[in-house]
Amino acid sequence: MLSSNEYEEEFPVLKRKINGHRLVYLDNAATSLRPKRVMEAVTEYSLNHHANVHRSTHTLASEATEMFESSRQKIAKFINAQEEEVIFTKGTTESLNLLAYSLAISKIVKPDEEILITTMEHHSNFVPWQQIGKIFNIKIKYFPLRKGIFELDEYLKYINLKTKIISITGISNVTGQVIPINMIVEKARKIRKDIIIIVDGAQYVPHISVNVKSLDIDFLAFSGHKMLGPTGIGILYGKKEYLERMSPFLYGGEMIDKVSMEDTTFTILPYKFEAGTPNVEGSIGLAKAVDFLQQIGMNNIAQHDNELTQYALEKMKKLDFLEIYGPKNNLQSSIISFNVKGIHPHDVAHLLNEIAGVAIRSGHHCAQPMMTELGVRSTCRVSFYIYNQNEDIDILIEGLKKVWEWLK
Amino acid sequence: MVKIGIEDLYSDIILDYAKNSKYRKEIPASKKAEGKNLSCGDEITIFVKVDKGKIVEASYLGHGCIISQASAAMMCEIIEGKTVEEAEKILNEVIKMSQGKEYDKNLIDGMEVFSDISNFPMRIKCFTLSWHTLEEAINNQD
Repeated sequence: MLSSNEYEEEFPVLKRKINGHRLVYLDNAATSLRPKRVMEAVTEYSLNHHANVHRSTHTLASEATEMFESSRQKIAKFINAQEEEVIFTKGTTESLNLLAYSLAISKIVKPDEEILITTMEHHSNFVPWQQIGKIFNIKIKYFPLRKGIFELDEYLKYINLKTKIISITGISNVTGQVIPINMIVEKARKIRKDIIIIVDGAQYVPHISVNVKSLDIDFLAFSGHKMLGPTGIGILYGKKEYLERMSPFLYGGEMIDKVSMEDTTFTILPYKFEAGTPNVEGSIGLAKAVDFLQQIGMNNIAQHDNELTQYALEKMKKLDFLEIYGPKNNLQSSIISFNVKGIHPHDVAHLLNEIAGVAIRSGHHCAQPMMTELGVRSTCRVSFYIYNQNEDIDILIEGLKKVWEWLK
Repeated sequence: MVKIGIEDLYSDIILDYAKNSKYRKEIPASKKAEGKNLSCGDEITIFVKVDKGKIVEASYLGHGCIISQASAAMMCEIIEGKTVEEAEKILNEVIKMSQGKEYDKNLIDGMEVFSDISNFPMRIKCFTLSWHTLEEAINNQD
């Protein structure tokens, strides 16, 4: 890990004062901060190399194409995928919508088969399946969590020979519970060998090293902006054997083989799924972010984020005016949801910002079914990343005490 | 620019109104409307009993932050006893205030304790939820 000073150099916003206080940024599950090197890479491309990719033959077009494809290569390596299995999207939401729609129209799920999701999912891994189910008459099964905690054995009872697809998050964006994906893959494949396993990696990939091959998952969706990259760029990884059988989700330029008045044939992977001019600068920014994460080391990051989470949990458990949701132990990492008793999360979040410079999230976190499980309408949420330190947690704790004194 | 302190937004008077349960009830056989703040999931129902063009009783039910609850309670207190036309005038001025525009302080009957709300863009929706819902309730023909 880098030192606090090095992080301040790399992330200029960390030097900002918020209402006279040093910024304590604890909203990383919403989006991470921007490092200089990522934005410099984006600017360098935009100002000196930009052209449309895969089309013209001039120098700029060639440089842009080369930079775009080497970004793909770097990201593919990062998750141990083949380049043609890495599709650029605008983020996890688009990746999951692409998947749901394409799997449905490609008739990969047979009429009597089911798709299993859970009530802890972010709306982007919930609503697409629910709606696809309605439109294409596919049965969607929901695994209900108990008190917001995922239990593997209970979950496995919902998988049977009819289950064609399971789509599940790697880390709950509400409770921070780390889901044992490796165990799920192992057990689910024993129940049905050809089950399709989809992982929503939006909260997982930024914090924990993923090797799609050894994990043996079929699809993985994640976003650049939660892992130090720019907004508007994300990834859908898919096993080649499935991607080849799937129909495109978007039609247009770049993704065709031959177009005539009667019909169109589509080009090869991954371009079949990348209609239109792609977000080239986004891909370059994300590749640079991946470089940075690898330089720090994904294992170091996982350890750092987990230690911070345990430190925060320990301190927060001592505040008797807090209600904390989720496992509250080392099964959870990088995210903690809580409420200050009797006080609306908006008030807590706003006051923390004003009196302590602490940025946290308040709301339903795009996970209303999970809120229902927890029996609340909304929560406060703190989430950590590489640049956060124990001192940030101490400032949060002091801020929470002040908010409680003020509003109780 | 004058620095606006959070103390003004979370003043004792606003905290008192948020805790006040006098107007937190249902009024049977009244005009009502439901409002929702999509970004946070907060909900409010506003009830107004109108007799010969006059609001004889107003109340609210719902869940929300201090700003939204205090705004609703104070609104009910202010509009009770006013004609529908008067209430609509107040509503217009209050919305203008929330947007940081010029407004007639004499018309709004105490709502100016919230005058700083326009400096907190993320909270304007909390403040205006009950007022926009009031507008719907008044116009509701049922």
